Amino acid sequence: MGKSFLTYVIQRIAQCLLVVIIGITITFLIPRFSPTDPVEAVVNRAMMMGQFSHPDAVEMMKDALTKLYGLDGTLGQQYVRFWRGLLSGDLGPSLSSFPKPVMSLIRGSLPWTGALLLTTAIIAWVTGNMLGALAGYYADKRWSHVLSIIAMSLHPIPYYIMAFVLLVLLAYVIPVFPLGGAVAIGLKPGFNWIYISSILRHAFLPALSLVLVGIGGWFVGMRALVTNIVSEDYVTYAEYAGVPNRTIMYQYVMKNALLPQITGLAMQLGLIFNGALITEYVFNYPGLGYLAYSAIFAGDYSLIMGVAVFSIIGVSLAVLLVDLAYPLFDPRVKHQ
Amino acid sequence: MSRNQPLLDIHNITKLYSVGGWLSRNKIAAVADVSLSMLAEEPEILTLAGESGSGKTTLARMVLRLVEPTLGRILYKGRDITSIRTRKEQIEFMQDIQPIFQNPFEAFNPLKKLESYLFETAKNYDSRENGSIEDRIESALNLVGLSMREIRGRYPHELSGGQLQRVSVARALIASPSLLVADEPVSMIDASLRMSIVNLFKDLKDRHNVSIIYITHDLATAYYISDRIAIMQRGHIVEIGPVKKVLAEPFHPYTRLLRESILEPNSETAWDEEITLSTIETKEFARQGCKFANRCDSRLPICEETEPPLSFVDGREVKCWLYGVQGKHDTAS
Repeated sequence: MGKSFLTYVIQRIAQCLLVVIIGITITFLIPRFSPTDPVEAVVNRAMMMGQFSHPDAVEMMKDALTKLYGLDGTLGQQYVRFWRGLLSGDLGPSLSSFPKPVMSLIRGSLPWTGALLLTTAIIAWVTGNMLGALAGYYADKRWSHVLSIIAMSLHPIPYYIMAFVLLVLLAYVIPVFPLGGAVAIGLKPGFNWIYISSILRHAFLPALSLVLVGIGGWFVGMRALVTNIVSEDYVTYAEYAGVPNRTIMYQYVMKNALLPQITGLAMQLGLIFNGALITEYVFNYPGLGYLAYSAIFAGDYSLIMGVAVFSIIGVSLAVLLVDLAYPLFDPRVKHQ
Repeated sequence: MSRNQPLLDIHNITKLYSVGGWLSRNKIAAVADVSLSMLAEEPEILTLAGESGSGKTTLARMVLRLVEPTLGRILYKGRDITSIRTRKEQIEFMQDIQPIFQNPFEAFNPLKKLESYLFETAKNYDSRENGSIEDRIESALNLVGLSMREIRGRYPHELSGGQLQRVSVARALIASPSLLVADEPVSMIDASLRMSIVNLFKDLKDRHNVSIIYITHDLATAYYISDRIAIMQRGHIVEIGPVKKVLAEPFHPYTRLLRESILEPNSETAWDEEITLSTIETKEFARQGCKFANRCDSRLPICEETEPPLSFVDGREVKCWLYGVQGKHDTAS
């Protein structure tokens, strides 16, 4: 088994690398094959303002911008340079907030998004699955029906509508929570209660909106999985083996139903790098989603590419981790 | 338990299922007014046979308490099984009646080692014979021609269907039950392995005093191992009696049809019946009178209108107007 497991690990890592390389190559190619030329766009914008009317100055500016964007030289040269920059952690300067490097913008937003989405994803996953499993196992109980109705009405609500409703209700009508931002303005960062509580207060509403909708989704999926498994012969056999109900619920039903949910969680964790685009925008939360949103509006190619690259790496790593951990949960995977 | 008390006594049980949407709701009797009993002092193998949808599995699941009957009572060792409430009573009941299901590949949790089922069963049911948990598992496995050495540390996907089915029989035996309910236990197993399981059942009855309800549509194995056979059709038992009598000389036209379709697979009529089966299925459930009337080649005018009673003829019971007293419309007899 030792050897086959090692091959399994190596295969999965190779697969992951391949996906990352292909994904990043596509992100590299798309702007280069798109009909809009970013250099042209900036120059046109500048021209419209009536500055730099001298053709030589325009030419000089074009050259400088082309170099800055890494668009000089052949496609092959650009590609090599792009990878060299990426591997040394340099994604070039942002165009909209020039001359700040893309890397430092991402570094500034990542912790906010990471903390917010990681916590909400895990809270939603755990509660949604626990409740869903209980509701599926005790499907004919009254509370199970009530829970299902609540979850089914939460689940289809788009998360940004939920965000907006919560914002209006709990920040405007009953102003218990701040309207937006990540921390009170003017507070000095530091490891003290005032600063941390301010972060928590600001993160509460966006987190709640994501958790509520998330719980609904996981609940609905888990309940369906569990109701299917409960009627399986192996559960009846376990009952007839005198296994106590609690053990059947955890060991025979929930464990089996969780397998697809684990994959789902991994996919969601990977998407953290996309941020919760609109949630962050609604709450004015300085995360990756907000960054991506403003980059798209400003036509900031290098920033969009930076976020895309991080997203690709994030999703692939999450999938890789789940793939590697899967044999621990499912004995059937080892031998494939 | 007194000596004359039946092991299993089923009184007029009926299971109704609703079918169709909320515009055209229909009730279908999956099992209709079935009564039968099995004696405690002499273990027997009772076969339930009949086409798909005849209610054999529903009947078995009611005996196992997996499905609750709509009407009627099931007494097990003199006790109404719907009155079982506490965990202790439940455990006692389950130790005594053990199931074996059709599909061995669905019988075990794919995420658990096979032996866990054996250990759980042995741990939760105190043995009636002496011996350690390990010994009891080993002897149950030996009975089905396996040993712990072949099972230990293995997962269900690592064994063949035949092996798995034998493990599930072994699991049932660890509880040392008085009654096994085997729902088509050999239909998913290679024909060459079938006989070993069927012989095992016979052996269990003869040497270990285990009664068995054997559900099948394979009349050949039924003939070989069972003592009595009950032929079911559309929820009713249409003929019940000693297997040698019923299969050698079937009285009910449906039993005749069943037997012919097995003995003469080339017969044109047998195949015609098979093909039209599903289309007439719901019609048959809803029909008045004898459910088999429109497929029957010897039907009488009365068959269309009135359900025939079970009549005693030649050591068996037959639900057919050919043998019943015409004009006496009493189904309760």
